[in-house]
Amino acid sequence: MAGVGVSKAARGYGFSLARPLARVSPRARARLAVFGVTAAALLFPLVNQNDADIDSAANALAFAALALGLNIVVGFAGLLDLGYAAFFAIGAYTYGAASSWQLQPVWGGFWEPFQWLELVTRFHTAGGDVVHFQVSFWLMLPVAAGVAAFFGVLFGAPTLRLKGDYLAIVTLGFGEIVPIVARNIPSVTNGAMGLNGVAAPRFFGFDFGIDATPYYYVGLALVAFLILTSQRLKDSRIGRAWMAIREDEVAAMAMGVDRVRYKLLAFAIGAAFAGATGTFYVAKLQTATPEMFMFPVSVMILVMVVFGGIGSVWGVVVGALLLQILQSWFLEDLSGWLHSLGRLVGVDWLQHVELASSIELIFGLILVLMMLYRRQGLIPATRRTRTLSLDEQTVQPARSGFTDLAATDHVSPLPLLEISALTVRFGGLVALQSVELSVPAHSVVAVIGPNGSGKSTLFNAITGLVPTDQGTIRFAGAEIGRLRPHQVLERGIARTFQNIRLFPNLSVLENIMVGMHARLATGPVGAVLRLSATRGEEAAARERALEILSLFGNRLLPRAEHPAASLSYANRRRTEIARALAAQPKLLMLDEPTAGMNPAETLELADQIKSLNRQGLTILLIEHKLDVVAMLADKVVVLDHGEKIAEGTPAAVRRDEEVIRAYLGRSAVFA
Amino acid sequence: MNRGAPAVSEYGVLLQQVINGLSLGAMYALLALGFTLVYGILELINFAHFNVFMVSSFVGMWALQLLGISGQGQVLTGFALAGALVFAFVATMLAGGVLGVAIERLSLRPLRGVPGTAAMITTIGVSYILFNIILLTVGAGSENYPNPLPVVRWQFGEVTLELKTLLIWGVATVLMIALHLFVNRTRLGKAMRATAQDAEAAQMMGVDVDRVVVTAFFLGSALAGAAALIFGLYYNYTSFIIGYTAGLRAFTAAVLGGIGSVPGAMVGGVLIGLIETLGGQLIAVRWTDVIIFSILILVLVFVPTGLFGRAVPTKS
Repeated sequence: MAGVGVSKAARGYGFSLARPLARVSPRARARLAVFGVTAAALLFPLVNQNDADIDSAANALAFAALALGLNIVVGFAGLLDLGYAAFFAIGAYTYGAASSWQLQPVWGGFWEPFQWLELVTRFHTAGGDVVHFQVSFWLMLPVAAGVAAFFGVLFGAPTLRLKGDYLAIVTLGFGEIVPIVARNIPSVTNGAMGLNGVAAPRFFGFDFGIDATPYYYVGLALVAFLILTSQRLKDSRIGRAWMAIREDEVAAMAMGVDRVRYKLLAFAIGAAFAGATGTFYVAKLQTATPEMFMFPVSVMILVMVVFGGIGSVWGVVVGALLLQILQSWFLEDLSGWLHSLGRLVGVDWLQHVELASSIELIFGLILVLMMLYRRQGLIPATRRTRTLSLDEQTVQPARSGFTDLAATDHVSPLPLLEISALTVRFGGLVALQSVELSVPAHSVVAVIGPNGSGKSTLFNAITGLVPTDQGTIRFAGAEIGRLRPHQVLERGIARTFQNIRLFPNLSVLENIMVGMHARLATGPVGAVLRLSATRGEEAAARERALEILSLFGNRLLPRAEHPAASLSYANRRRTEIARALAAQPKLLMLDEPTAGMNPAETLELADQIKSLNRQGLTILLIEHKLDVVAMLADKVVVLDHGEKIAEGTPAAVRRDEEVIRAYLGRSAVFA
Repeated sequence: MNRGAPAVSEYGVLLQQVINGLSLGAMYALLALGFTLVYGILELINFAHFNVFMVSSFVGMWALQLLGISGQGQVLTGFALAGALVFAFVATMLAGGVLGVAIERLSLRPLRGVPGTAAMITTIGVSYILFNIILLTVGAGSENYPNPLPVVRWQFGEVTLELKTLLIWGVATVLMIALHLFVNRTRLGKAMRATAQDAEAAQMMGVDVDRVVVTAFFLGSALAGAAALIFGLYYNYTSFIIGYTAGLRAFTAAVLGGIGSVPGAMVGGVLIGLIETLGGQLIAVRWTDVIIFSILILVLVFVPTGLFGRAVPTKS
């Protein structure tokens, strides 16, 4: 078994080779490990020639492939799918129908070209000639994956708006429906009896038959391909978009991730993995029954993912293999030992223990214990980060602003953002009432007002997070009031949030790179093929992200690989601004950027914002610290109860009677 | 239908199925209340509830066997019957309630406040554990359920009403009225409603949230216990498998009524009971589950608040 080989190899390195290995770079070490695993897996059937063992290993590989597919949906995109076996079933029956004797339409001229292509044969029966499907296994692998992906989109589409737990229930419903349908349409599936005469794959004239070894190697190739696909997707623009959705859906949308598209993509790719695996599994068993795809199978795959490490590619493979080893070998061996022990000591019940039947009990225990004590799984998806040196932690607040910054070339005489008669209602509550706002290009406009005056609602309306009821929002001459958040970002508006919405479990660098989502082009195919153009784009994006981090000097750069959740409050604010800058906006919208910062940090950030503006960036700012407003803003807009009550230079607004009444009446000082 | 009885018209069959549907519906409603009470307070879908119901049905069986009743042969009447039933219901509901509280205390409280789906995955694990404990100890066969109820039938035109049907309706009605009074008339009930609205605010106003959560689990699981005994008395069997089917249907009922809403769970339960019997009659029994799951999906997708649910507040 591959997994046994792995663990022995790993242990061997650990003991005897530890010293020289310490000098090998982590990258080379990882390559060595992959090489060792591959070699062990390739050699396994040659070393262990027991057909039953090889068969179990091939089954284990099928489940590893399923775990990899579910990991895309649950681990990367964070969508809990409790009916994943439905896609396994769809792939299985797709191959089954295309290569078994189940469907036997009457022969006619229509079928002749297909006969010529060797997809069908003409079969003589007493009642006349019928068609036998015999589509090649190799052709059906991608076809079944495609069919399953189609159903993935079909099942995924209605669930997209649902919260996580509702989504789980809907997928569970689909997971229930599919096997019941399979049972209830015996003309296609032969119902509970199972498919008849599924053809074994052939490879250049060699018939796989029932010998387990060729299936083992096909399974191995499948798992290897899916590992590669998963890894490459994970470390790409696509994977970052998925993980951004998983971490914070609203922030992901605001940073340019098309939520609908990427959720469906995750469903489709996850389903495609299951579809291909279904084809493999049915070809190997040469039958399929509805019972093979019921809820317990979905749960088993989920247990493998949870056990191995949600989101961790190697983790879920190891999880699947370990649980299959447990099920196929270890529990039976252990039962055998207990039987011997029972005979030895003369205890009757010990001789009848069948531990293999308790596998589901063990699954239940694994789920509970992992959730309680090790939610990251056996092999966590996120690496541990080293602690920073004292040098790296030392920073002096500076008053220079950003020094190393390329000027934006955007020049326009018109107002960049123009809002007129904007009204937003929440049920009966009017959050914004006929607000007019004009933001000239290259200016800094500040929005102030008491709490609950509608400032953040204004930001949300501009960025498409809340629907507007009336009025227009024009940006760079085009109406954007009906656009979805990611489209608003694509047009050139990036924002930060009042309550900081980073992607906590992504590294600082990855957070920044999610900000570049809309400015990069890599699609899922490009991410998997990883051609030189993709590699080039990725390297350039990484370099630019580091450049943006370096704007903040020593504050963020040494922490580039740290999870965003580990940052201090002020550094999280800075990271969020850096992420917005990464989107190359024309208009930067900052929602209370200096909230929670001490005076020195506040002045440092204010200078940095000023320098961004000097380079040509237009800035719309919500800010409570009025000294910051006075220092930065060309124009101040005052909101109260959703209405604009004043507008003008900071000095003019300061003297406005109504502002003093509405706002300053409650705060003693105006700096 | 007995031989010699007048041929029953199609209308009569449907009416009879309505009676049956109301009985099943009463059971689903009791079970659905458990989902709704916990969801209302923790926003957690409690899959363990499925098998709290199943385990409780075995407890009910053992309680009746303890009284020396086995199978359907030993019929009791009068005070003996009432006593046996009260004992069985109290034992089953207590067992269910204690099991529910234990699950909360041991596996869910440590996960309170952990974001995401960790708690829900845990309840799936707990459900699996309960399921397999019964499977491994009692076995995979179905058990003949002890039933001391005499078979009494009343004929109303084409419709037959049985004593057990009346018992089910009576018990379910009494329990639901009791729950309604508890939630709306007692201090703890008020604390529950406040916690369901806003747990944090309730806590700051001095509500002991842990106590509220334990109460929700106890009440919900005790009602599942009552539903479990009803299941046994109605169908005359129990098995390790019953939790899954009945649980999913009851969950659908809770969603249909609006998860988190107590009256919603009651109405939803009755509706699902009717859909099950009438759907089976009008379409085909083998498609019943597809119908019910389709309803589940359609309701969640198009009217996630259900019939009685309040709009789910979005947390920014």
